[in-house]
Amino acid sequence: MASGRGIRSRRGRRKINKAFELQLTSMMDVLVIIVVFLLKSYNISTHNFSNAAGLQLPISGSQDNPTDSLQVLVTPESLTVENERILDFQQLALAAGSKEATYSFKPNDLDEGGRRIVALYDALIKAKERTELLLAKSKSRGADGKPLPFEGILAIQADKRVKYDTIKKIMYSAGAAGYRVFRFLALKKET
Amino acid sequence: MLNRPSSRRKSHSEGIELNLVPILDTMVTLIGFLLFTTSFLAIVSIESPLPVASPNETLEKVKEKPLQLTIAINDQSVELYSVSDKIPRKSIPNQADGTVDLKALHEAVIEVKKQFPAEENSVLAPKSGIAYETMIAVMDGVRNLEPTDPPIYRKNPQTGVDEPAKNLFPKVVFGNLVTEDK
Repeated sequence: MASGRGIRSRRGRRKINKAFELQLTSMMDVLVIIVVFLLKSYNISTHNFSNAAGLQLPISGSQDNPTDSLQVLVTPESLTVENERILDFQQLALAAGSKEATYSFKPNDLDEGGRRIVALYDALIKAKERTELLLAKSKSRGADGKPLPFEGILAIQADKRVKYDTIKKIMYSAGAAGYRVFRFLALKKET
Repeated sequence: MLNRPSSRRKSHSEGIELNLVPILDTMVTLIGFLLFTTSFLAIVSIESPLPVASPNETLEKVKEKPLQLTIAINDQSVELYSVSDKIPRKSIPNQADGTVDLKALHEAVIEVKKQFPAEENSVLAPKSGIAYETMIAVMDGVRNLEPTDPPIYRKNPQTGVDEPAKNLFPKVVFGNLVTEDK
């Protein structure tokens, strides 16, 4: 009895194996839909801006897409230039129930009467020299045959809680280092 | 006696099955690539040049004084004025919750734009304690013309035809980078 059942089940299994074919058409349909969705939501832009954990960007109705440029990332905790953390802010005691960012610069972080951030100025000068060297070595030349000039564009990606005082010091330091244009980054407003 | 059916015809009637496995592989690779490279966060930028002091000679050469619309963001209000006194000074108090009244500011800026449709520059002077979020919101209100706003026409100097303005004062410069809060 037991052996007969065994033979039957073996036969049945063989039958299933022979008839069973994976239906790939429906899977293809699903994948095509996913690909179309991804292609539609693919953000065509040339920037490669990094993000920091906990960074809350403000929302803007601007339509300008930022192009790739040197980036300064400002959070209430630190200052980062091109993925290199160059300065940590001094954290102050937070008032109970306050959502405001409470931080300050350390006395040694600033010079020129508290206007310039020393570490940022040094980092920006280094980045500028590196870019100028690359431009000099590049085959791209201007109309006069000289290397292309340094554009001096600085992208500022700041947390929405950061104070204008910090932004002002960043702009002052960048201006002193030869940067002439600032791009304030924000999240695109949903329309 | 009937002839035996042709074997060729028989082979034609059997359906040709498309091998979907390589296409599937391509799709999976494409999805992986798209997921890896796509950025779901749409980032936009607001450009502002570093302010440069104009030499006195240039100022003397300019026949008409520029508007120099200045927006001072204070702790309790937003002040709107022209350095050359071309518009009456206007103060827009903050809302009850302490935030800037962006709607009133935007409406006031539209009124100024109606008077000076060709002007594109504005100067922003926020106080040190103003948050970056407020700064960006005010810049938006000063720069962008919303679709719901009344149309503002400006004469195209090349064609002489009135054209609707696309922006309010898109060129924003910071006017207090060197000075301290008053």
